[in-house]
Amino acid sequence: MQTQSRETLLRRTFLLGTLGGTSFGLLSLAPHRAAAAEVTLLETGSTLLYPLFNLWVPKYTAMHPGVRITTQGTGSGTGIAQAISGVAQIGASDAYMSTAQLKKNPGILNIPLAISAQTVNYNVPGLNNTNLKLSGPILAGIYSGKITHWNDPAIAKINPGVNLPNHGITPIHRTDGSGDTFIFTQYLAFSTPEWADNVGYGTTISWPSVQGGIGAIGNPGMVQACGQTAGSIAYIGVSFHEQIAKAGLGTALLQNRAGNFVLPNPTTVGAAAAALEGKTPPDERISLIFAPGENSYPIINYEYAIVNAKQASSDIAAAVRDFLTWAVDPAGGNAPEFLGAVRFLPLPEKIAALSKAQIAKIQ
Amino acid sequence: MRTSPFRIGLIGLAGIIPGMLVAVVLFLAIYSWPAIHFNGIGFLFRETWNLGNLYADPVTRRGVQVPIGAQYGILVFIVGTLATSAIALLIAVPVSLGVAIFLAEGAPPRLRPTLSLMVELLAVVPSVVYGLWGVAVLVPLIAHDIAPVLNSVLGFIPFFAGGSPTGFGLLSSSLVLTLMVVPIITATIYSALLQVPRPDKEAAYALGAMKFEVAVRAMLPMVRGSIVGAIILGLGRALGETMAVLMVSGGAINYLPGTITSPISTMASFIVSQLDSAEQDPTGMAVRSLAEIALVLFIITVIVNVIARLITRGLHVGLGSRA
Repeated sequence: MQTQSRETLLRRTFLLGTLGGTSFGLLSLAPHRAAAAEVTLLETGSTLLYPLFNLWVPKYTAMHPGVRITTQGTGSGTGIAQAISGVAQIGASDAYMSTAQLKKNPGILNIPLAISAQTVNYNVPGLNNTNLKLSGPILAGIYSGKITHWNDPAIAKINPGVNLPNHGITPIHRTDGSGDTFIFTQYLAFSTPEWADNVGYGTTISWPSVQGGIGAIGNPGMVQACGQTAGSIAYIGVSFHEQIAKAGLGTALLQNRAGNFVLPNPTTVGAAAAALEGKTPPDERISLIFAPGENSYPIINYEYAIVNAKQASSDIAAAVRDFLTWAVDPAGGNAPEFLGAVRFLPLPEKIAALSKAQIAKIQ
Repeated sequence: MRTSPFRIGLIGLAGIIPGMLVAVVLFLAIYSWPAIHFNGIGFLFRETWNLGNLYADPVTRRGVQVPIGAQYGILVFIVGTLATSAIALLIAVPVSLGVAIFLAEGAPPRLRPTLSLMVELLAVVPSVVYGLWGVAVLVPLIAHDIAPVLNSVLGFIPFFAGGSPTGFGLLSSSLVLTLMVVPIITATIYSALLQVPRPDKEAAYALGAMKFEVAVRAMLPMVRGSIVGAIILGLGRALGETMAVLMVSGGAINYLPGTITSPISTMASFIVSQLDSAEQDPTGMAVRSLAEIALVLFIITVIVNVIARLITRGLHVGLGSRA
C-alpha cells in the first residue's frame, strides 16, 4: 500500500517536472524566436580594462536587448591571441600588437578605447607621505640591482632636503604577463639607453637578477607585496589608486622628457596625450611613453580593443561596430561616469575619430 | 572463445586512462619538438630565460625563426621545483606520521571520526585558498618573525643567513606545500593503520610494549608500503602545484636561490605566469618552450615515481625474506 502511494507520488513528481521543464524550455525559446538577430559577443583580455568593460556592458546591453556580451579578465596576451584565433570577438589589451605579429595576422585592428596611466609607488618608512622624485635612469638602476639603498647618492641628489633612510630597496615586478610591465619597461628603455640595450621592454621581460627582488601576481598582488615589505618599490595601474591609498604607499614624482618631475593627474596625463595626438598613425599603434612637453606625465598608454576586421557574420560585425562606436563616444562609453570610476581619461577628439574610422572597417 | 560485451566494455573503459596519458605525452612531444631541437640539452642547464624582443622582427637561428635575444633555460625552475617539494616533504612526513598515529591510536574513539573528517576536508581545500592565506598571513610572518629567528639561530650556516627577507620565496612556498600535502599523506597512512590486525597489536601489548612502542615498532613496519605510497601521492601534488606556489614564491627568474628565504620559481608556476606573454611571440617558439617545460616536468615525475616503486618493492622483498 505504502509502496504504491510512493510510486504514485514519484510518478506525479516526474510528470510535474517534465511539464515544468518543457514549459520553461518553450518560454525561454519564445523570445529567441521573436528577436532573431540576437548576437552573443565575447570580450577577453586585459585585467586593467576588465572593470571598465563590466561598467560598460550592463549599460550598453540594457539599451540594446538583442546583444549579449560576456567579459573575461584573462590578460592582454590571451586577449590578443583569442581575437586572432576568433574565440573572442573583442580582445582587450594594454599593449598594441608588434609589427611582426601584425605581419603574420594582417587584418587585425588595434583600436584605442581610452587612456590609462601608471604610478610608481614605494613603501619607505617615514616617507610615504612625501612624494619622492624618481627618474627613468634611477628606476633602471634599482631594477637592475645597481642602486640598492634608498640613500643612494643618485636618489639623494634629486631629492634635496629629504632625509633618506639607509634602507635596502626591494624592487617588485609583475610575475605574470602584463601591460603594466610593458609600459613600465618602455619608460625605462626610452629614458635609459643602457636598459634599452641590455633588457628592453615587453609584457614579460627577462628581469636582471636582483638578489632580494621579488615578483607579484596582478595589480592587487603588487599593492599587497609593496604594502607589507618595507623598502619596496612597485609599478601599479592608476585604476588601483584607492587600494594604493589604503595600503598607505607613497607615489613618486616621475621625471619626464623635459626634465620636470610630475604626478599623474588629468592635466599631466592629458598633456602627454595631447603631445602625441598628432603623431598617432591611422593604425593607432604608438607608444605614449616618455612624451615630450613641460607638463607631460611619462607613463601613459592607450587601452586597446584588438578586433579582427573580418568577423564570422555580418550580424556579429554590426554588433561589434555598434558597441565599440558607443564605447569611444564621449556621450557613450567615454563619458566621465564610466572612465572616472577607473581613473582613465577619455580619448582626444582626433583619436576618437581615428578609432571610429578603424571600427568602420569591421565587416 | 567468445568475448562478452561486458568484457569489451570494461577493456574499453580501462583503456581510456593509458590512452589519455599517451595522448598528452605525444601532444607535448610533438608540439614542443621545434623547441627541443632549438634549445638542445642546454635547456636543462642554463639559468637564463629570456623571451627575447617580441616587438622587433624575428631572426633566423639554427634554421628557425625566433625573437632577437631569445634564450630558454630552465635550471632555475627545476631547482625551485625540487627544492620546494623536498623541503615540504621533509616537514610533512614526520608531521603526517604523528597525526596519523594519533588518530589511529591516541585519539579518544569518540573524537576520531570528527578529526579524520577534518583532515580529509583539508585535502579538498582549493589551492588558491592556501595561496591567499600564504600571502596574507604566512609571508609577513616569515619576513618579520621566522626569518630573523632562523638567521640568528642558524645564521652560521650560509643557507640560513638571509639579508633582508621579504617573506616571498623558498620557505613560504615550501610551507604552503607542506600544508597541502600533510592531509593527503595523513589520510592515506591513517587508513592503512586502521587495517593493522588487532591480534598483532594485542601481541605487542602483551609483550609489555608502551603505546608509542606499539605504534612505532609494531604498526608502522607493517604499513611501510602504504607510507611510501602516501609520500609519493604527496610528492606528486607538491611537484605539480601551480597557483599557491605562484602567489608566494616571489617569481624568481635568472638566478638560483642562495638562502632559504630567496625568491624561487617552480616549473608549473612558471608555465602559468609566462603563458600570456608567450602567446604574443609571433614565432611561437616561446609557447613551444613552455610545452617543453611541461614535458620535462612530466619526465621528472615519472622518474620520481619509478624510484619510489623500486624502494617499495625493496621493502616488500625485505619483509618477505624476514617472514
